Order: sequence, then structure tokens, then C-alpha cells
Amino acid sequence: MSITVALTLTSFAAALVIGTVVAAFRVSPVAPLRAAGAAWVEVLRNIPLSVLMLGFYFGFTKIDIRYGEFATAVIVLSAYTSSFVAETVRAGINSVARGQAEAARSIGLTFPQSLRVVVLPQAMRTVVAPLGSVFIALIKNSSLAGLIAVVELTDMADRISFDTARPIPAFLGAAVGYLLLALPSGAVVGLLERRAAIKR
Amino acid sequence: MEKVSKSFGPVKALQEVDLSVERGEVVVVVGPSGSGKSTLCRCINRLEPVDSGTVMIDGVPLPEEGKALAKLRADVGMVFQSFNLFAHKTVLENVTLGPTKVRGLSRSEARQRAMELLRRVGIDDKADRYPAELSGGQQQRAAIARALAMEPKLMLFDEPTSALDPEMIKEVLDVMTELASEGKTMVVVSHEMGFARSAAQRVVFMDDGRIVEVAPPDRFFSDPQSERAKDFLSKILAH
Amino acid sequence: MRRTRWFVWLVVVVAMVGAACGEADDPTTATGGDDNEAGSTTAAPTFDAGTTMARIQQKGEITVGVKYDQPGFGQQDPATGEVEGFDVEIAKLIAVAILGGDVDSVEDKIEFVESVSKNREPFIQDGRVDIVVATYTINDTRKQVIDFAGPYFVAKQDIMVRKDDTSIKAVDDLNGKKVCTAKGSTSEKNIRAKAPRADVLLFDGYDECKEALVDERVVAVSTDNTILAGYVDRSPDELKLVDNPFSDEPYGIGLKKGDEAFRDFLNDRLEEIFEGGQWGDAFESTLGQLGLETPDTPTLDRYGAAGGATTSTTGTGGTGGAGGSGSTSTTGASSTSSSTG
Repeated sequence: MSITVALTLTSFAAALVIGTVVAAFRVSPVAPLRAAGAAWVEVLRNIPLSVLMLGFYFGFTKIDIRYGEFATAVIVLSAYTSSFVAETVRAGINSVARGQAEAARSIGLTFPQSLRVVVLPQAMRTVVAPLGSVFIALIKNSSLAGLIAVVELTDMADRISFDTARPIPAFLGAAVGYLLLALPSGAVVGLLERRAAIKR
Repeated sequence: MEKVSKSFGPVKALQEVDLSVERGEVVVVVGPSGSGKSTLCRCINRLEPVDSGTVMIDGVPLPEEGKALAKLRADVGMVFQSFNLFAHKTVLENVTLGPTKVRGLSRSEARQRAMELLRRVGIDDKADRYPAELSGGQQQRAAIARALAMEPKLMLFDEPTSALDPEMIKEVLDVMTELASEGKTMVVVSHEMGFARSAAQRVVFMDDGRIVEVAPPDRFFSDPQSERAKDFLSKILAH
Repeated sequence: MRRTRWFVWLVVVVAMVGAACGEADDPTTATGGDDNEAGSTTAAPTFDAGTTMARIQQKGEITVGVKYDQPGFGQQDPATGEVEGFDVEIAKLIAVAILGGDVDSVEDKIEFVESVSKNREPFIQDGRVDIVVATYTINDTRKQVIDFAGPYFVAKQDIMVRKDDTSIKAVDDLNGKKVCTAKGSTSEKNIRAKAPRADVLLFDGYDECKEALVDERVVAVSTDNTILAGYVDRSPDELKLVDNPFSDEPYGIGLKKGDEAFRDFLNDRLEEIFEGGQWGDAFESTLGQLGLETPDTPTLDRYGAAGGATTSTTGTGGTGGAGGSGSTSTTGASSTSSSTG
């Protein structure tokens, strides 16, 4: 369980940063950056996570990129989740009235500044709830780290089921574990949402 | 501004427009809706990139999007029809944002100057409110203070009173008139003929993306030269 | 659709067998038939009502859980979709004893279901399968929820390393090293017991382990020699077997817990094929192809209350002798059947 938590939190932090940068790329006035952002999102979110996981772990060793199991899981989960974060944040950016960005630029802020200081803080309010869903999806997606021998919750259930020859209780236990992680996350999202809404 | 053209798809918003504004001059741009007035205004600080022609400020052509353009925009204040105050920041923060982030002023100095400006536009008591808590007229005055805080060489007003209820128009025009009398260089796109008559040195009449007539306000309103200007004036002065 | 086809086959086969004996209304008389000695075709015997064997016979097919990814034991041919291997052969030999026919024709009366390691117990408990023949190591934990007939094979746990490796000669050498095996295998427990300081990496299957070994992420893969032999057979230039086995892995046939009559029947049938030579044939045609020598037949473990007592239900049809060809009798059957038809 602690590995699932560590995996999820580390990956989510990284995914938020990468995803926001990619979202900024996608709305950038510079065409090559927009293309790079789009490519990142489309490649990562359209390949099954299991394929990414095994592909990165086994495939990249062939070109001498090699990380440990946990590190690989974090990298792959971060990259994969970042594509969803990017789309969510981009939708948030688009939801902020155009005039906000124009006003920001008209007082002399550069594009990145206007994004950071004016647009993103407003976008984040509409984005909290959908990001919560992305986070909960990540909790569950972390189960695929078991594919590359990271002993997270599902993998643990796997092992217990073998040790006891009783898979049903073991996986029920895992299900309860995921619920215990996801339900409080949902509550935290609700809280953040209310906090973000107050200042509106 | 030389031979500036701009199209939105098939619509030619500006066609080979030439205009120059002297330092300290107040120019009011009038014309029927869709005549390209707003586009003209937005091209001056390159919120709309032009298709062809040159826009120069102090003899320097506008650079491409980037740091240099941002620096230049800092010297051109802009007031929008829909205010566009930063919704997540208080009035005071709206006014201090530019000076601290762009001019590098200290927080306390920016704050002090912002309060002076807010006092000047008469809303220093609303400094800690969020934009949504203010009336339209108050928001627009805050937006003017925000633009003034950058100590711009040129102020652009893009239909600053069009979104306001009638009783609030005066409070905004009063502020603008005061600025004009102080010798600020201003380009104002507006339907407020009274303001044009009293504050402008020149009136620019646009129609169909072209500048049709440029004249001092007295002459423009009493003796317009072009048919289209006559037609326009007859329509708006009929009531 | 599939069911219909099986049913048609069932009718055809029963008709043929019956016709071959000339006694279509009583197939059990086939037990003493001449063709039975000449070939491997067996008539379906009669079982006591209420037994699992009778139930399987009645529904006309047996459902068997096998591995689909285990070379030599149960591996699906991607081209034909057929599952092949030693486990599959054992399943056929069991099926023949219940449903009659021969090992070739009986294939149509077996529904193979892919059983991965973690669904074997639920499949048996829920009745999703009648038996599991899937490199299923007999152990006490599993015996608490299901029962085992057999063992029908005893694998030995061994170690596979890269071809150029000379540092690992025995299980002790794995201490302090990274070793790969599959989740939930008894192999994992054995490594932890015999090389407690080994760093054990667990994947879903051995394909990943082999890949990790080739990639030098681990220094060794350890599991049953039969499984490892398959990999060495396919990549003899990259991999080799240490060939120093350190534990016995008895493979059993999994069945529903407490079905003593069925378990005794399975054990009796295994004994028959051990002695009758079919077990050896099955080994040679499958695992033997991977370079493994045919071992001695294992000793059955008839544990528990039922012990070795045989019951009336073990009165199976005669065992087919080695050698004779099934096709001869089939031809005979069809010609007879056409003459009667």
C-alpha cells in the first residue's frame, strides 16, 4: 500500500509539472512548440499503459536506457498521466476568457508570464475537479507497475492470493485498499474545489 | 502606421490604413460598427498581428511576439470594452501586477503608487475588493488605473464605455477627459460624440476598413466632407 | 455454433463406435471388443449415477484448464489456435477414459480453457472447469481449497543463466544476486528458502524473466527445469541451464475439493497410462522435443481419507495398448457404419 501511495504521489507531482508545461506548449504562439505538445499528448495517451510500461522497461534497455523497476514505473506513470493532465489544463486555459490573456499581455507581460500569473491560476479553478479524476485514475493505473515487478497493491494481492491459494479475498482486499486511497482523494478534491471557488 | 492591412478570413478589417498620432495628441476614432475601429486599436499594440504594412511607435517598428514586444506593450496602455480585470486578483493587485512583474518595482512602492492612481480615479475604497464585486463603471476606472500604472507613452481605449450602463458612462468619461487635459497621448475608439467634441484634437472617421476622413472635431461635426461621414452623423445625431 | 459442432461430432463418434461394435444400443460392450486391443480407441464406460465422470459423460464434453503460454506443457499455436503440450496430452488421455474414442478424436470433446496461475483455484471452485492440468504444483496450501490427483510429473527446480556466466553453479550462489521468477510460483518460495539473501524479482510470466536475464537486469532465472528447457532450447546461444536441481515440483491434476470418487478415478487412470506406455509417448512427443529425457514415471500420492481404495467407478474401459493404430479401427468403424446405414 505504501508503495502504491509513493508511486501515485511521486508520479502525480511530476505529471502535474510536465502536463502543465505541455499544456502551455499546446497554446503557445510558437508553432513548433504547439506541435511538440500535441505529439507528446497524442503518443502517450493513445498507447495502452501496459505497453508503455513493458516497452519502456524492456524495450529501452535495447538502446541502453535503463532504470530500476520503481524508477521506470514512476517515469512511465508520470509521462502517461501528464498527457491527461495536459489536456485537462489546456481545456482549463481555454475556459479562461480571452480578454484575460490580452489584458495581461497589454500591460507588458510576456506570454509565459501571462500564462503563469494570470491564466493558469484562473484555469486551475475549473481544472481541480477533472484533475481529481486524473489522480484517481492514476491510483488505479499504478497497479500496472506490478507488470515490471514493483510490489504495489495489486501485486501484493497477487502474491497473497498465491500464498493462500485464495485469490478472491486477496483481490477484495486490494479493492478495499484502492477505495481507501481513492475516497479520501475525492474528499480532498471537493475541499480544494470549494477553497478555489471562494475567491471568485 | 503605414499601409496597414488586416483580414479575418474573407473579411478585410483594415485596408491600407495610414495614421500617425503626435505626442500629447488625443485622437478619437469613430465610425459604424464593423468599420475596423477596434481592429485598428488592437493592431497598434499588436494584440492583432497585421497582415501587411508597418506599425511604428517612436519610429521603431513593432517587433515579433516575444520579450521585445512585451517591453513595448508595457509602454502602451490599453483599456478594453469588457474591462478584462484579472478576475482572481483584487483591484489593488490588478494595478500593482504590471509594475512589480514588468517594471521591477518593489511591492510597497507599487502599492503606494497604485493607491494614488485609485484615488485619482475615485475607487481607492475598493482596493481590496475583487473585480466581480464592483460595478461596471468602477471596474473600468480600475482598468484605467491598471493601464496608467505602467506610465505608458500612449493609451489605447477600445470602446471603453460601450459595455456600461448609461449612469456609469459619465464617471469613466470624466476620468478620460481629465487624462486628455493632462496631455496624455490617447487613441480612443468610441461612440461618445460628446467626448470626441470636447477632448479630441482630431477625429478619425472609418468605414469599411478604411480611414475616410480625418478632421478637427469642430469641423467634423459641423461640416463633414465625405458622404459617408454625413450619413453616419445624421444617423447618430437623429435622436 | 461451437456447441452445435461438438454435438454433431459427439453423435458421429458415438455412432461410429457403436457401429464398429455392431451394438449401437450398448456401447459398454465395446470394452471387450477386438478393435480395442488392436488400436487405442476406447468405448465410453458406464459410471455410477451422480459421479463427476457420469456428469461429464452426460454433457458429452470435459472442460480442462491448461496453460496457453508454457512451452512443452500447454502452449497455443498462434496459427491454428490449437493448444499443445504434455499437459494437453494428459488431458486427452483422461478424456478418453471418460468419453471414449481415441486421443485424436477426443480432442473435439475437450473444451480447453486458458488457466493462468491465479485463476486456477477459482476456476475449479466455481465449476468453470472440470479439471486443471496446468503445471500445477501440489502443495498443502492449495490442498486446503482444492484436491489434487497425481502427481503425473515431477519437475525439478533449476537455474538458468546467460551462456557466458560461470559464477553460478548452485542455488547458494544466488545469495546477494538478482534472481527472477514468476509471481505465485512455488519457485519463489524455494529460492527464498534456499538462498535467503537473493533479491527476487517477480513478473507475471517467465517470458519477462527471460527478457530481464538477456537484458542483464537479473543474473539468473529460476524455476522448473522443464520450463527453463524450453527457453534454452530456443536460445541456445544466449542461455544455459545450470543443471543442478534443488527441489522437486510434483505436478498434479486439480479438481474440486472433496470429490474423492473423481480423484480416485483420475489416479487410477494415471496409473494406467503410466503402465500402458501412453504417458511415455506423451512425454516424448512434447517435452522430449525440447531435449528432455523421458524420466521414470512418478509415484502417485493418494493422500487423505480415500487412500488407495478403489471403488466401483474405476471400472473403466480397457486400456489401449501401445502401438496399434487408431485410424485402422476408425476406418473399420466408418465402413461398418456405412454398411449398416
